[in-house]
Amino acid sequence: MGRVHRIHKVVVLVFMVGVIVGAFIVTRLGPYFSVDERKIVVFAGAASAPVLEEVVRMFESKYGAKVEIRLGGSGSVLSAMKIARTGDVFIPGSPEYLSQAVKLGVVNITSGHVTVFAYLVPAIIVQKGNPKNITSLEDLARPGIRVGIGDPKTVCIGLYAKRLLEKNDLWDKVSRNIVVYSQSCDATAALIPAGAVDAIIGWHVFKAWTPDKADIIWITPNKIPQISYIAGAVSAFVQDRSAAEAFLDFLASKDAQAIWSKYGYFATPQDAKIHAPNAEIPPLEDLT
Amino acid sequence: MMRLKEIGTFRLISGACLAFLSLFALVIILAGSIFSNPSALVSAFLSEEVQFAIALTLLTATIAAALALAASIPAAYLLSRARFPGKDFVDALINIPIALPPVALGTALLIFFTNTPLGVFIDNSIVKFVFEPPGIVLAQFSVISVLAVRLMKPVFDGIDPRYEKIARTLGHGELGSFLKVTLPLAKEGVFGAAVLAWARAMGEFGATVTLAGATRFKTETLPVAMFLDLSLANLEGAMAIILILLALTIAVLLIFRKIAYRGDIPY
Repeated sequence: MGRVHRIHKVVVLVFMVGVIVGAFIVTRLGPYFSVDERKIVVFAGAASAPVLEEVVRMFESKYGAKVEIRLGGSGSVLSAMKIARTGDVFIPGSPEYLSQAVKLGVVNITSGHVTVFAYLVPAIIVQKGNPKNITSLEDLARPGIRVGIGDPKTVCIGLYAKRLLEKNDLWDKVSRNIVVYSQSCDATAALIPAGAVDAIIGWHVFKAWTPDKADIIWITPNKIPQISYIAGAVSAFVQDRSAAEAFLDFLASKDAQAIWSKYGYFATPQDAKIHAPNAEIPPLEDLT
Repeated sequence: MMRLKEIGTFRLISGACLAFLSLFALVIILAGSIFSNPSALVSAFLSEEVQFAIALTLLTATIAAALALAASIPAAYLLSRARFPGKDFVDALINIPIALPPVALGTALLIFFTNTPLGVFIDNSIVKFVFEPPGIVLAQFSVISVLAVRLMKPVFDGIDPRYEKIARTLGHGELGSFLKVTLPLAKEGVFGAAVLAWARAMGEFGATVTLAGATRFKTETLPVAMFLDLSLANLEGAMAIILILLALTIAVLLIFRKIAYRGDIPY
């Protein structure tokens, strides 16, 4: 009798838990699974996600077209596009991946549509409050300062950092203080909030990613040889070319520029040039 | 006297090993509490996006675990009982997904569904896996099903086949003796395997992100949500999600244990 009662209780308990969990799942997932409609598929570097999502909401309400963003590391999403031969638009975190996409046949520049949306300037990012009192590139060579940069062989901000230091005859001195070469752009940015180093050479926008943990030290403007940018292109597998081009154009529109600025990017080359007047903006063809 | 001392030393070493292994869990909790804080945790838990991810993770991991169990119980039983040519080879072959990084598994599945006639047919006409939520279930299944087989085979190995033979002499068929005798005897081991497989599916990332992609409010499981936060160097958000995943998994495991075994827990 007692055993039957116990089993009964267990069944009721399992049923109740099942109903609660089931209801939670249905209410949370339900609104997002609607009938498939026509949409633009964008493969994008995950670092641009906050901007892209805000721009997409605006674009969708203005143009009535759906946009689906598939996020990841720029190289990973490029591999996915290449394997699955799919996606309308490719927006990597740095233009090097666009030239890689050209080599892989994912983007066809001659018939494709490349648009630049925002500009990035190298800067020194330090711990909040600048406890080590780092004010210049030269300070990175001071004994005891722990510096992190991206791996110059694989990470674009690492390559920019190395070129920047070489250009200013500081590479030999500063590289002695480099304690970590990180393997991606976001891993470089994360070194500061993680407290792993005193300073990194990163993109100026890293400060906006972790405003409570980081401070930015602008580099003397005429010392910066190169700046970078975020650009996107129509893919070779595009289904709806006119919608894809409209989306790229919208990302560079005045409306979208306000959103790029809000997230700390420079929306125009003029804005970026304030911090780097002599810097060149390397054209896509020069990137490897 | 000597004997007692030996046991004492052995106990000490075993205790130290167990303590050392528990450290990993403690380190995760410690890291989580250093880089997160109660308010970040609460706001993460209340966010629409994280709630979506919780629901999607629970749903996909549970489906994947159920399917993995349904496939691996008979497979493990067969491997344990049957003799057939090439058995050793098959036994070794099914281990491959365990040795591979899940990203490799996901990439292989992506290539299969987009570059082979059979895969393309399945993806277009039967179930859409590529960059769609069913891809999450398949990715999790591909990682956990072999794990379940490996965990269950020794359980069946440990059950004397004579019980089944006796059941047969009493009139049960092969299936009947399996369902009435072997499975009830293997219950605890099967349950343990199911729980572990489910928990592993909850945390699956590499195969999922490669096959199903990372699209917010579509294929965003908790591990994918954590990855997206890390991409923005948002360590607080990422650690909050890790703690939520941890709490969720532990809570469900404890509930299941309580339901299945009131009192003594055999695994």
